[in-house]
Amino acid sequence: MSSRAAPARGTVTALQSALAAEHAAVYGYGVVGAYLTGSQQGTATTDWVAHQVARDRLEAMLRSAGASQPAAAAVAYQLPMPVRNAREAVALAVVLEDRVATAYLGLVALSNAAIREYGAQQVQASALRAAAWRGSTVAFPGLTSAALAPPRRPAS
Amino acid sequence: MLAAAAMLPLAAVSGCGGVDVLDAPPSRAPDVIMLGEAIAAEQLLIRWYTAVLRDAGNAGGSPGGLTAVLEPMLAEHREHLSQLKSRLVIPVGSAASPSPTRRAAKPAGPGAGSAGVAFLRDAEQAAAAAMLDRLRSAPGSLAQLYASISASEATHVPVLDAAAAGTTSQVTG
Repeated sequence: MSSRAAPARGTVTALQSALAAEHAAVYGYGVVGAYLTGSQQGTATTDWVAHQVARDRLEAMLRSAGASQPAAAAVAYQLPMPVRNAREAVALAVVLEDRVATAYLGLVALSNAAIREYGAQQVQASALRAAAWRGSTVAFPGLTSAALAPPRRPAS
Repeated sequence: MLAAAAMLPLAAVSGCGGVDVLDAPPSRAPDVIMLGEAIAAEQLLIRWYTAVLRDAGNAGGSPGGLTAVLEPMLAEHREHLSQLKSRLVIPVGSAASPSPTRRAAKPAGPGAGSAGVAFLRDAEQAAAAAMLDRLRSAPGSLAQLYASISASEATHVPVLDAAAAGTTSQVTG
């Protein structure tokens, strides 16, 4: 019998979401790499490995948090866009990174300092990879337009 | 969203008919102070980018390339500033923004050309790290904004590295 306290539901949910995004990224980069050659393929391989490492880290964090069942990878994923050539493969890599960054922002909202910091580091890592694929930077990596909507002012 | 209402001097009507000013206004909440620092840091970056762009224009060389690199990042800093300011509620009659308790790092201005680009690169790196520090004790939604801005600023560093290399090669080549 374990004496470990039950994990906070929000913590486990956010970690599971990040893990699901990493599983999808690992799968997606397999597709990305298949359409690239030369240095681009090398970059895709490096990024693919980075997502595998992050996936393993999240699984360990979930177990450490007391979660009995880290989210498993699906057998296959529906790609968010058709990928038939190198240009579309690069576009897919950008989407994968954007989604991973959004998922890690869920960890940043948690109160656990270590998880929050790890989430922020991963948002940054993902933003750097996305910018390299995109060839340009964005103002708010990972944040959706809904999150950037003007806050509601209290009624006066 | 953080209210800066704590900055307002408060008055109370006493039971004897007079109006007494309360002893001291409550101090600003740490979140508000931190947000003020983040706003000041973005304002400083915007000033520095503007200065380097102005110098590039005055130099009369080939500023087009540098301008094309810097202006999108300057625009992103303006978006950062706008978002940060939107999280702060300024009551009518109070200062436009809370003054930061600490001066932002790097008070010196950037130089021109490759020195200016290198200065911006270091400033971006420092700003990204400072924003990460802020998110540690921020409320959840504000921490997410800080993390996203920090990530954006981190992505500016390799762009500036490449620009510095390009500027240097133009000078030496």
